Amino acid sequence: MKKVVLLLAAVSFVFTSMADGPEFQQAMGKTLAGYADCKTIEDFQGLANKFERIVNAEKAEWLPLYYHAHCYIIMSFMEQSDMVKKDEYLDVAEISVNKMIEMVPDESEVYALQAFMLTARLVVDPMTRGQEYSILSGQATGTSLGLNPGNPRAKYLNISNEMGTAQFFGSDVSKYCVQAKELLENWDDFKPASPIHPAWGKDQVEEIVESCK
Amino acid sequence: MSIYIRNIVIIIVALMFCSDIMAQSTNIKGVIFDTKNNSLPGANIYIEGTYDGASSDANGKFSFTTNETGKHVLKVDYIGYESFRKEVELTGKEVYIEPNLNESFNQLNAVTIIAGVFEASETKKAVVLKSLDIVTTAGALGDISGALQTLPGTSTIGESGRLFVRGGHSGETQTYIDGTLVHEPYTTSAPNTAVRGRFNPFMFSGTVFSTGGYSAEYGQALSSVLLLRTNGLQQEDQLDISIMSIGTGVAGTKLWESGAVTASFDYMNLTPYMQLVPQNINWNKYPQSYNGAISVRQKTGKSGLLKTYITFDKSSFSLDQEDPDYLPGITNNNIDNQYLYFNTSWLGTLNDKWSLKTGVSTTGNLDNNGLGFGDYYGQLHGANAKIALANQISEKIKIRFGTEYFYKYSSVKYDNEPCSVHYLLNFTSNMIAVFTEADIYASNKFVTRLGGRYEYSDYLKKYNFAPRISAAYKIDDKSQFSLAYGLFFQDPANEYLIYTNRLDFERANHFILNYQTIKENRTFRAEVYYKDYFNLVKYRLTDHLVPTDHNNTGSAYAYGLDIFWRDRKTIRNGDYWISYSYIDTKRNFRDYPGEAIPGFVSKHNFSLVYKHWIGALRSQCGFTLKYSSPRCYNDPNRADFNSELMTPYRTLNVNWSFLYRQNVIIYASISNVTGFKQQYGYNYASFANDEGFYESVPVIPDAKRFYFIGCFITLTKSGEANQLDKLE
Repeated sequence: MKKVVLLLAAVSFVFTSMADGPEFQQAMGKTLAGYADCKTIEDFQGLANKFERIVNAEKAEWLPLYYHAHCYIIMSFMEQSDMVKKDEYLDVAEISVNKMIEMVPDESEVYALQAFMLTARLVVDPMTRGQEYSILSGQATGTSLGLNPGNPRAKYLNISNEMGTAQFFGSDVSKYCVQAKELLENWDDFKPASPIHPAWGKDQVEEIVESCK
Repeated sequence: MSIYIRNIVIIIVALMFCSDIMAQSTNIKGVIFDTKNNSLPGANIYIEGTYDGASSDANGKFSFTTNETGKHVLKVDYIGYESFRKEVELTGKEVYIEPNLNESFNQLNAVTIIAGVFEASETKKAVVLKSLDIVTTAGALGDISGALQTLPGTSTIGESGRLFVRGGHSGETQTYIDGTLVHEPYTTSAPNTAVRGRFNPFMFSGTVFSTGGYSAEYGQALSSVLLLRTNGLQQEDQLDISIMSIGTGVAGTKLWESGAVTASFDYMNLTPYMQLVPQNINWNKYPQSYNGAISVRQKTGKSGLLKTYITFDKSSFSLDQEDPDYLPGITNNNIDNQYLYFNTSWLGTLNDKWSLKTGVSTTGNLDNNGLGFGDYYGQLHGANAKIALANQISEKIKIRFGTEYFYKYSSVKYDNEPCSVHYLLNFTSNMIAVFTEADIYASNKFVTRLGGRYEYSDYLKKYNFAPRISAAYKIDDKSQFSLAYGLFFQDPANEYLIYTNRLDFERANHFILNYQTIKENRTFRAEVYYKDYFNLVKYRLTDHLVPTDHNNTGSAYAYGLDIFWRDRKTIRNGDYWISYSYIDTKRNFRDYPGEAIPGFVSKHNFSLVYKHWIGALRSQCGFTLKYSSPRCYNDPNRADFNSELMTPYRTLNVNWSFLYRQNVIIYASISNVTGFKQQYGYNYASFANDEGFYESVPVIPDAKRFYFIGCFITLTKSGEANQLDKLE
């Protein structure tokens, strides 16, 4: 009888740990794979909803919030003409970013994503927001790199923002091409903490390097 | 042993049975609608506490299966709508739902009352103007009131430069900085030449220009209020240097963890410019001015912000003007102005429900005009203290109430030694006011604001009560109606109060109806209004031209239509707005013999402002075209009062800003580039000459065109800031 109790305990242990660990990992992994199929704003809305479901079920995890915000930032970039809508998507992303800052204030990736969001705010209306938001975005990548000097996404956003400004002013961008190339070469040196931690950005850096040719 | 095995088998079977139940799946389907039965795509439908769920498709339909069993909560989330929750029993039998989601209420997204209001701010939501628009409008020359004169409801009065709103005199518009009153917000100028706003537009990050129907929080303005909000905390240390054709300036900002200090100094001297460009005015001493300002911003606690600002101006010039009373004689004006303004305010939340706004401002203004035959001194001291509380009573009701105190001392002194004429007139006035206001939302679509204001003046020994009511209704996502009605009171002008306190407040009733639609970077608004004036001050001039018999028997009316169209979409990299105002007004005030169209009103006002960004040249070019139909002026040689017409006002201003580097801007502008003839009627002699004829002198601007060039440099650690917002 003793053994049965032990067995039961073992079985139930397996069940509970599945709910906390592998199931979460699995659900995240499956949902992250969904990025590959997203082509329209509606697709990203669907993906954001999936992450939101995980957010609601896993109150202690910041990663689902991260991707939830990330999807909405991408939606803002994809929206072509409606400025109000672009800002509305970013309002949703901002709420998730702020929640993460409360949850994990020392996580470098959160500030990199915040910088990405602020860049998206700038893009909505560059003429009036350019000055203020380029400073804010620069401050966020600064915080991100302060927490983890190797964060390749913060580095990418820095290069991309500064290059954008330089192009706007018609100045020489070769300096940023060199930086982008270097970042791409060393991209894989940065090892995400787990398979579900942020890993995006390499494609975008490749695009920059490509555009320099 | 066998018992053991049997038990284990039972457990395994039981577990299998259990997992069998878990594996039993339930199909959940449905369609998501709003309350008008429009389908909602992209809604998130899920079983609470699990990962199981789906998004609604383009037709609002969804379908998913879950392996959960038993009682669960099915939830639907959609941005901007209240969540839908339903308890369901998952048994394997299909679940079907067709909920109608209610729009959630959010004051930030709810309709706002915009009757009479033009707001320029950096807020994310679609506003009609951005703060930058104030300073990048050609011809405004960095002057806030100059830029606002391209909006409907205003008249351009070239010989004044002040804001004249909807048939009201410039004195009927008051300026408030961070909630407290500013006296004398304009620079001192020679008679019949244009003034400028004293305050640099780059100090402000929010501007609300109300052409009527404003909140009960603001009193002492018959026609209009201009509400300016100073900048919050800057993002980094910076040093700004300006080198201009008319002067130079420097400003530095230093930040600390929770605050910042900015100090600035400007020196303007028009001598080199005016020697180069021909002037219509005979200057003895070209205009010169010094300005110094310090502002401190400090965060207090979690949400509070304390702002303190102090500025000092000193300006002087001397010129000769032809005087119709002494033709061919001239009057020599030696003008000296000193101005000191102080403002401190605190804004913050006390707890979840209460927020507090409080501030004190003081103004000191000293004008000295040496007229050659005598010396004139004008002195004004003003103060305003205000405390206002706001309470979020419930999600849909917000109340504000507060009290304020106004102090005013004004004096006029005239000394003429040779003729031994001396006089001194002055008065001191204290006024208290209380106000209250409630915003009541019926839904996201409909809001009503009810308010009232009570004022008592110890100088007039009179009180007034001003009810105000306004409302807004949103027709759909893009369009709305607003209306406003209210009573507005103001002290009679200081120039009357120095003679007598046997007067009452002047009064105006406003009725405004506004329609606005904003769609994809295009804004259209139309506003009709009716204004009724009561108790305007009238007086009689004695044979020596001294005003006497002041009384409140004057009256006026004004009605009109204001149209505004802005389009930032049609032309790539281009942005333009068009304003048109029509007004019909008559008034009987001052020493008017009866009802007449006042001289500060044009029946038709038209402005076109255009801005274009040329990326290849890193330049923004723009122009402003304005037309105002002829105004009236009075020729005392004619029998009919105010029956003569001036030439219409026309001007074309162009500007160009070039971003040499990210932190270096070169800026140039020309006002009235085509050289339209501008004349503002005639200045007549006070007395007829021996032939019984009143001599006159034409009133013309100080120069046909105005040229400006400047270079603005910003130094920061990151090198990203520039003074784009400092441009005209």
